[in-house]
Order: sequence, then structure tokens, then C-alpha cells
Amino acid sequence: MIPLSWYLIVSAALFCIGLFGVFARRNAVAILMAIELMLNAVNINLLAFWRYRTPTEPIGLAWSIFVLALAAAEAAVGLALVISIYRERDTVIAEELDTLKY
Amino acid sequence: MLADWQFIGIFLALSPIFPAAPVIANWLLGPRKPNPLKQQTYECGVETVGDTWIQFKVQYYIYALVFVVFDVEAVFLFPIAAAYDQLGLFAAFEVVVFVLILAVGLGYAWSRGALEWT
Amino acid sequence: MNPQSLLPSVPEFLAILPEISLVILIVAVLAYDRILKPAERRRVGLLAAWGSIVILLITVGLWVLFREPEPNRSLVESLMWGGMIRNDLITLIFRVMFLVAVAIVSLISLDVPALQRGEYFALLLSATIGFSLMAAGSDMIMLFLAIETASISLYILTGFLTDDRRSTEAGIKYFVYGAFASAIMLYGLSLVYGITAQTNIYVIASLVAQSGAIPPEINGLFLLATVMIVAGFGFKISAVPFHFWTPDAYEGAPAPVTAFVSTASKAAGFAVTIRVFAAGALGAPNFDSEWWAMLVAITIVTMTLGNILAIFQSNIKRMLAYSSIAQAGYTLIGLVALTPDGSGAAMFYLLMYVFTNVAAFGVVVLVSRETGSDDMQDFYGLSRRAPYLALAMLFALLSLGGIPPTAGFIGKFFIFKAAVDAGLWWLALIGVLNAFIGLYYYLSVVKYMYLYRSDDEEERIPVSRAASVALALSVLGIIYLGIAAGPAFEWTRQAGAAFFPFSG
Repeated sequence: MIPLSWYLIVSAALFCIGLFGVFARRNAVAILMAIELMLNAVNINLLAFWRYRTPTEPIGLAWSIFVLALAAAEAAVGLALVISIYRERDTVIAEELDTLKY
Repeated sequence: MLADWQFIGIFLALSPIFPAAPVIANWLLGPRKPNPLKQQTYECGVETVGDTWIQFKVQYYIYALVFVVFDVEAVFLFPIAAAYDQLGLFAAFEVVVFVLILAVGLGYAWSRGALEWT
Repeated sequence: MNPQSLLPSVPEFLAILPEISLVILIVAVLAYDRILKPAERRRVGLLAAWGSIVILLITVGLWVLFREPEPNRSLVESLMWGGMIRNDLITLIFRVMFLVAVAIVSLISLDVPALQRGEYFALLLSATIGFSLMAAGSDMIMLFLAIETASISLYILTGFLTDDRRSTEAGIKYFVYGAFASAIMLYGLSLVYGITAQTNIYVIASLVAQSGAIPPEINGLFLLATVMIVAGFGFKISAVPFHFWTPDAYEGAPAPVTAFVSTASKAAGFAVTIRVFAAGALGAPNFDSEWWAMLVAITIVTMTLGNILAIFQSNIKRMLAYSSIAQAGYTLIGLVALTPDGSGAAMFYLLMYVFTNVAAFGVVVLVSRETGSDDMQDFYGLSRRAPYLALAMLFALLSLGGIPPTAGFIGKFFIFKAAVDAGLWWLALIGVLNAFIGLYYYLSVVKYMYLYRSDDEEERIPVSRAASVALALSVLGIIYLGIAAGPAFEWTRQAGAAFFPFSG
């Protein structure tokens, strides 16, 4: 069987790609996608831990379904906010949202 | 163990040849006499007129939202369906409550006119 | 599994009765919104306010009449729904805070035309469900779900005014920071699940307490998970350095929403934070834990930075945002004292903070609706334009600053006393020094209200009946907790012991 650490490495890599995406991308939609990547990394973690640590109890399995639901809800709310921003100022670039500042 | 993988290796090595060969053959054998009509984008939809960043009708978006809700609902119903034999009547009742709560949401969206295409 | 065991027992049912009632209230609010004529829209807010007051009475009534939650239950008995939630005094006290907050916030947003919609009140209530389950949750899955239920409702509420530049911008900033922080927290939680193969925080705590349960070679991983979870919780309580969203979200959001985010959401964040850390799920609650050092550093930076930045603000909502960061710092002192008294004091502080900040933001709502902005200059000469509003604001500011006849003084006193009792006199000293910095900017608003003059002193500021009831209730709360703190403090102190089920 493939060792647990392989899954964890994949998930950590995916998480870091997401993390990098959040900081590096300027488009709000791209930032959303990066956050979704991080949530997917969490899901890989949960499923791998479920399979290797608690195979008899579906804890991680159930949890990952909730994470899926969260990801869908977050995507819906995030896109709604992006659309309302776009309607108003024709931009979705994060740095141009500067009405509120110090 | 490794023998099982050698087929994949062979496959990986050979597979690029098949799409590449016609393109290369075309480039080697075909005559080249370009004119503006030939240079046009071929079978990739109609060329756009004006700005592509137009406002979509907001209904598309609301439809998508309603879709997402029921899409995720299916994710929750699937495990219950898979374990249905081991769960009692109470679980079935809980599922009905769950679906009803979502149906209230759908009803609300409907009464707000989210399902009207105007 | 025996199917019969799926049926809840009576205490289990009572344990989530407030949440069930809130769900019913949400459906009622949405349905009522659909049958109302546009001219009667304000009634939907009345329904939400009255409904949450009724649920508050149910919650308190259950405790007074049936002793539910029973304070003397053991840890195992108080864990309900397969360990998902714990129905104890902590849960009860936090529920009271949230329901008070949602009732008062509904009352002050009743007469804001842009907010007179069923969705707005439904989202306030669904956020309340999230808060309530955050306070009750004792399982990582439950906590995660509760936090997200609350957060997602709040993202929408913050960006609720879709034709207002600042509101949408605040919404998206809050959303991006929030989703980012919760993804990080979730990764940390999944690591804890992987390390311990458990999700219940009390089971994890007893596992972590055994030596050798966590092999030394993965201590680093456990610490990483702790850091990630601290980041997620720190976001919810807007502690420095996870506070970047706070000023923007507070300034841009509709003012009643800001009142809600700054009180109920922060209290819920603290409920989760104190419960998880005091239980010892991330390492034993003593002064040797790595997380303790981390939290102390966060406490000091949060207090100091919040107070210093608040001085330079010219927008009243931004000023209150930085002030709320500083207040989170004071509350954290109660947590890092790591005693039942300290946690009790933190809960008392949050309770008084709900009344205080809701009063402050209630006044801001009314004033900014009249003047159309929320600059500090709007408050010049307020005592002449609206003497009662100025009086309510005065009490709120005195309470925030910690001046004797108000609840804020008692709250700070208990917090600092708990810190000194725990041997952290230096932390208490930093807190007191910070309280003096805080006084400066709170009292300058008092100065603007009472001593400065403005050109439009003749224009009175209209105050609706609902808003005056809301403000009167919160000011009464401030004064009551200030002069008769005994029973409430005894209550929170008793509850504070429940945070530490394994010591004593």
C-alpha cells in the first residue's frame, strides 16, 4: 500500500500552491480559486487520515463531505460579492479596491 | 511488479506519435498559399462584436446558485442512500426534514422571482 | 448500531432547543417577509426582534425552571449528541449574549430602509445559530461547521448594501480574509485529527495529556497545527496579527452589522478559543505550553497596537474597530491567566462588551443616518442635537474606557485581578497602561459631544421608538452590570470552572 506520507506530501503541496495563489494573484476570482485549492488539500488530508488512522469509523469521510458543502457555499457567496463589486466598478482586481484605507 | 508498468511506459512513449504524425505530414506535404479567408479562425465560434466583458443576465447566476444548493444536497443524500438498510425510520424522517428545509429555500427563491426568466 | 439510539433523549433535545427555535424563526421571518406589503416591511424586523426575545426567555427559563443545563453535571454527562456539543453553563451564558445582541441589533436596524428585508434578518438569525453552536460545540467537526455557518452569514451581511461601494468592498475583503483564515484553520484541525485519530476536543485533551501519546518526532507537526488553529481563531476574535480585515469590514459594513460582528461574533470566537485551549486539546493548559507563550505575545501586541492605532482615526467606526481589537486583547488576558476565575472574568467582560458596543454602534447608526457619513465631526455638539443619544454614547464610552460606575470598570477589574492572582502581574500592568491610552481616545469623543459646537445644532436627530428601546436596554445593561455585578459575575465564575474539566 502507498504510505500515508505520500498523500500528506501531495496535500501539503496543494495547500502551499493555494497559499501562494492567495498572495500572488491579484484577481479576486483567482484568489477564490486558490482558496478552493487549500480546501481540497484539507479534503485529501481528511480522507487519507480516515483511511489510515480510523478506517472503521467514517469520521474523516463525513467531515470531508462537510468541507465540500462549505466550499460550495463559499464559492457561491464569494462570486456573489465579486459580481456586486464588478457591477459597480468594472474591476475584480484586489488592489484596486481601495475605498477603505487607513 | 515492474513488468506491469512497462506497458504504460510503452504506451506513454508511443502515444504522442499519433497526434503528431498527421500534423507533421501535413506540414511536409501540403502546399502553402495563404489568403485572408484561409487565415481566419476555423470552427471556433463566431468572432465577437464589441467588448467581451458584457454583463450576463443575473438570472444565469441565480440559476447557478440554486443549482449549487441542490448539487451539494445530493452529496449529503448519497451516503444516507448507501447506508439506508442499516438506518431506521428516524433517519428517513431526518432526511425528509433536511430536504424540506432546502425546499423552503427554493420556495423562497421562487417567490422572490429568482426562477423567472425576465 | 441500534437504530433506536438515534432518537434523542429529553436533555439532548433541550440542549439544542434554542437552535431549533432559531431555525423555526428564520423560516417564519422569510415567510412573513413574502406576505407583507412593501409599506409594512419594518414588521419583519419586529418579528425577528420579538422572536429572539422569546427564544432568550425560553433559554433563560429552561435554566431557571428546570436547571437545564444542570451546572453540576460531569463532563461525560454534559456531552450531548455523541459528543458534538456540550450543554453547560458556558453555553448558556454565551447563548444569552448572542440572543441579547441579535435582539438589540434587530431593533436598531428596524428603521434603516435598506435593511428592511427578510433576508437580512434571516441572516442575522442564522449567524446567531452559528455563534450558539460555536459556544456549545465540543467536537472539531461541529466547531468547524458552526464557525462557517456564522462566518458565511456575516460575509453576506457585511456586503449587504450591494449599491454601496464601501459595503461591497468590505464584504469581499472580509470574505477573502475569512475564507483564507478558515482554510488554514481547517488544515490545522485536519492535522490534529490525523495525529490523534479523534475529533472530540475533550477526548483529544485527555489523549494529549498522556505522555507518549504523541510521539516526539511529530511534536513539530502538532505545533504547526496549533499555529494554524491559532491563526483561524485569532481571525475570529480579530487579534493582531490576524486583524487586517477588522477596520475595513467594520467601516464598510452597515452599522448594525458592525455592532453585531464586533460583539456577538467576537464573543463566539472567544467561546471557541477559550474552550479549546482551556480544555487542553492543543497541549496542557499551563504556563509551559508553547501555545501559551504564543497567546501571551498575541495578547500584548493586540492590546497595544489596537489602542495606539485607534488614537489616529478620524472615522468613528474605524476608531471603534481598533478599540474592539484592543478590547479583544484585554479579554485574552482572562484566557492566558489559565484559571477558572480568569475565564469567568473573560466571559463577564464579553457580556458587558455586548451591551456596551451595541449601545455605541446604536448611536452611530442613528447619527450617521442623519448626517450621511460617519466622520468624527458628526459628533460635534451632539449633546445639543440629541441629549439622550449623547448620554447613551457617554455611558458606552465610559464603559469602554473602564470608568467606575459602568460595567467596563468592573470587567477590567476582574480581568486584571485574575491575571494578578495567576501571578501574571506584569501582564495586568501592561493592561492597565493600555487602559489609560484607551481613555484618551474614548474621552476625546466625549469632548466632541459635550464641549464642541457644530453649525447644525438646531437639527434634532430623530430616534424611533424601537431604537430608543434598544439603546435604553443596553444602557440599563451597562449600568446594571456596573453597580450590581455580583450575581452575573458569580454566574460566569461558576461557568468558568467548566472550561477546565481535567484540573480539579
